[in-house]
Amino acid sequence: MTNTRIPAVRPRPAAPAAVAPRPSARDRGTRLLAALFLAPTIVGIVVFTVVPIAGSVVLSLFHWNVIDSPSFAGAANYREVLGDSTVLVSFRNTLVFMVFAVALQLLIALVLALAVNGRMPVWLRSVFRSAFFFPLVLSAASISVVMKYLFNQDFGVVNWLLGLIGIAPVPWLTSENSAMAAVILVYVWQQFGFSFLLFVGGLNNIPKEIHEAAALDGATGLRKHLTVTLPLLSPTLLVASVVGIINALQVFEQPYVLTNGGPGDSTRTVVMVIYENAFEQLRFGEASAVGVLLFVLIMAVTALQFRLSRRFVHYQ
Amino acid sequence: MTDSHLPRRTLLRYGAYGAGAAALAGTAASWDRLTGADIPGRDDGSLVVATLGSAFDQAAVRTLSEGFRKLHPDIRLRINAVQAVDWSDFFAKILTQIAAGSAPDLVYVATEGVQLFAQRLGVPLDRWVKRDAAELREYFADVHPSLVESMMYEGSLYQLPVEFNAADMYLNKQVLKRAGADLPPADWTHDDFTALLRDMKRSSGSHFTPYFWTNRLWGGVVPWLFANGTNLLAESKAPGGSWLWDTFYPAAERRGRGGGFRWTTPQATGIRVEEAYDYLASLIQEDLCTRPEGGNGSNLVGVFSTGRVGVTPAGGFWAGGLHLAGMKPTGYDVQYFPRWRTQRHQFGAAGYALLRTSKKQDEAWQFIKYAARKDTLTQLFQGNQTTPARRSMLTGARYQETGPAHWQVFYDTLDKFPDTGPIPAPPQVAEVEQVLLKHTGTALASPRTVRPALRRMQDDLEKAMERDV
Repeated sequence: MTNTRIPAVRPRPAAPAAVAPRPSARDRGTRLLAALFLAPTIVGIVVFTVVPIAGSVVLSLFHWNVIDSPSFAGAANYREVLGDSTVLVSFRNTLVFMVFAVALQLLIALVLALAVNGRMPVWLRSVFRSAFFFPLVLSAASISVVMKYLFNQDFGVVNWLLGLIGIAPVPWLTSENSAMAAVILVYVWQQFGFSFLLFVGGLNNIPKEIHEAAALDGATGLRKHLTVTLPLLSPTLLVASVVGIINALQVFEQPYVLTNGGPGDSTRTVVMVIYENAFEQLRFGEASAVGVLLFVLIMAVTALQFRLSRRFVHYQ
Repeated sequence: MTDSHLPRRTLLRYGAYGAGAAALAGTAASWDRLTGADIPGRDDGSLVVATLGSAFDQAAVRTLSEGFRKLHPDIRLRINAVQAVDWSDFFAKILTQIAAGSAPDLVYVATEGVQLFAQRLGVPLDRWVKRDAAELREYFADVHPSLVESMMYEGSLYQLPVEFNAADMYLNKQVLKRAGADLPPADWTHDDFTALLRDMKRSSGSHFTPYFWTNRLWGGVVPWLFANGTNLLAESKAPGGSWLWDTFYPAAERRGRGGGFRWTTPQATGIRVEEAYDYLASLIQEDLCTRPEGGNGSNLVGVFSTGRVGVTPAGGFWAGGLHLAGMKPTGYDVQYFPRWRTQRHQFGAAGYALLRTSKKQDEAWQFIKYAARKDTLTQLFQGNQTTPARRSMLTGARYQETGPAHWQVFYDTLDKFPDTGPIPAPPQVAEVEQVLLKHTGTALASPRTVRPALRRMQDDLEKAMERDV
């Protein structure tokens, strides 16, 4: 064993607390590597999300009809759209749609997830999972085209079936009283599969022991679900509701194809108004202003959800 | 002994370098595809013609291109068939292309967009028409002046019409027979029309709708407004245009012609407009026709050809559509729109508009002339998917296979009713159409809702017409 002499180290003056130690070459390499891996995603987000959002905000301050050069409008576009009854009605419709569509979607998805998660052969469970998820992979526009035929008052299969049991034809898409309900039904039928899959995953994550303990304490059936399952499923419920609300606030295809926003304005949604302003009436400034308002609304609703989640969401 | 294993960190680093290099190489290799530079004819100096994709099939587009190349081998041509649901969707896509800096030289434009394009994007064809007057004389002699006038704006001609469709009435003969009725006479009235619908309703089952219509600018409420001697917007004629009428049309045909239509003051609350809406609302109340949102063109062919609908307004385009759906030529027929206060019909026409941004305007004019030739149109419109603008092309032979028996109605709608005019389509047409569709749905919910809805329509139309496009 060689006796190595440790060189005397001259004590260096202590570095000021605010200055971080210089990263070593290895740390720099690690950071560079991390940056390399993150770069495609960051570039994607910047190019396809941040820039268009910034572009929309800028465009909302201009009058632009595609044909002529843009002219500065300041807040005029916002005054214009906030004074437009169609825009205000579309926000109201969208909020009504969101409340009912998301509530129905979550309720159906939860009930079905609980049912499928119960005592059932594995193969049958797979069949149900696939069946419930299937509408989600189809194009919303093509589903809506088919549904438009099914819900047709005069020639639709739905009214024909109702007729077999003596019910008079329902003006599904042609009455202000039922058009929104029909649009919500079509939307929920297509969308609930996503929440369903989330709930199935969430239910599988709940340890069996907790249910067993609850059973020993005498909790059964609905009480068990209310006191054990739902609280433990609340993180999944939060995710499902956040995603569901964001999607519902951006609904476009179903009302556009099924009713084109009618009768009157009864099913006109905010995204429809954006589309109509921009691509039918060539008012890109006003369309962008509505888009910015929708962005703010979605941000506000999502922030509120996360704020409320502190109180209602339970993590194991 | 040295360790032959690569440290995980090094492996990851080189992996990242490799992935980055592969991504860059992939992007470089597919750059032409990503930027669209590999599209044949793009940025190679070709004359670019944008057509409504669904209007012409691939064979027709090939015919159009090859015929033009034979005639003008020095002009490279690219047909850009833009797929769209309808004209407004098509215009939206064209305007998006223009905004993106890839404007075509020529755009196929229907009445809905004639004034918008003329006012903001188009080039008047006057100087070329005057220059080539001798060559064009045969064309104008074959085309009704109403179609030409519908392509004029403020005294100038912006397009040569190549097709049109007027809203006539198609009748299912099986349903007529069931109702014990004959094909109505040419001078039938709207009372005769109502009586016929009632007869049809009585003689058919509960899953039958006598009259089917689509809520849109063409063929919706507007034909009824025309028949009742009114319009959605006050209609007048722009001055000018005599340079064209005096050159190409005899005195009898040019009387009353001007420099194109002007649609200005909304008149949705006019008594005649209310009458037309009241009439349609009463038909709905009696279950004699579909509600406006119930109808759309895509399912109409099916329900008409199977006898679940008796009557519907359509143009010559439907002869081809019904034939494709398997309907026999003897299974249906066509008659003029019924008379009310007048028997004025409405039509929409289409032709090629030349864009101001085009650097190849002389070549584009050659294409416009070529596209209006009889031989070109004969090749293009073989399937009766529209009504050719040239009178001489409407023959018994053309309609022998598809029907209808009274095919003369298509062009006689112009010849026998010279006041027949285009659908109201000012430059603000998109908003006008949206307002019309929206409030028509509300107005026809019940007889009580007609007036309040028309008042709201009037307000919205006034706002729309005040706006500059």
